Amino acid sequence: MRSAEGRGRTLDEAVDAALIELGETRRNVDVKVVREAPDETVVEVVVIDPAAAAGAPAGPANGKAETVRSLLEGLLRHMGVRATVQVRVGTDPITLDVSGRDLGALIGWRGETLRALQSVTNVMVGKHLDEGERVIVDVERYRQRREHTVREIALRAARQVKMTGDAITLDAMQAFERRAIHLALEGDPDVTSSSIGEEPERRVVVGPRKPAE
Amino acid sequence: MSAAERIRKAIAVVNAAADGAGDEEITPTEIAEAIRDCLELPEIGSIPNVRKYLGEALDATSDGMPADFVAMTLYAALGALQEGHSLN
Repeated sequence: MRSAEGRGRTLDEAVDAALIELGETRRNVDVKVVREAPDETVVEVVVIDPAAAAGAPAGPANGKAETVRSLLEGLLRHMGVRATVQVRVGTDPITLDVSGRDLGALIGWRGETLRALQSVTNVMVGKHLDEGERVIVDVERYRQRREHTVREIALRAARQVKMTGDAITLDAMQAFERRAIHLALEGDPDVTSSSIGEEPERRVVVGPRKPAE
Repeated sequence: MSAAERIRKAIAVVNAAADGAGDEEITPTEIAEAIRDCLELPEIGSIPNVRKYLGEALDATSDGMPADFVAMTLYAALGALQEGHSLN
């Protein structure tokens, strides 16, 4: 799997430096922040290889994942959607990547249709899964890109909180996006994240961590 | 708040319970409350199937069915509502 390290003054600059070295676009990569300091950010960018993902074994859950994959493919066929479904390698829970042409309608407004598709898929495949196990459905890596975007937003907010000492309230987000923010900031000793408000207007607040915490 | 907004709010509560955002504990009572808020709207009475799907979602919640099943039924209610509006 190809990867490159990127350095820059900001997260964007670091990611761009690695993308230039790899000759890839953001859509095809995973980004991991290695180190973040006020003057320099270091990231590791790994290319997601769809061809390798399709051909590689999916580990011990292969049989189960394949069953789930074919059920979703069948559902999409009945819906008249021409798309391919692949099991994302090395993910837990099982993640299904739907790809094809003009799949915007399958994502819908703010990912609403994608979320509905995931609910239907989980109801369909429930008997093949263990208790409490769920399947994640992603279309054209929309969900992955959203998670990446909100992680960047979280890191930017954390930097600002460290500089000003004031808390920042982010835009309303879905639960999986808020979760991505909490996970991105949980290891930061200087900031804390919490949520306020009611669904669907629930927002994450990033604030300075009090010394007593 | 319109019926569509209320149903979307109920869906968001169910999805948050399913996704486990890690920032709150959502109880079945809260989900049921969000669905009851939808059932109280007079707007839904005139549109076929919306009340039926919302009732099914409420039953599924009290029966302890998985969050995805409740969400799917609420999406059906939302779809019926939008279909009803487009026919009127």
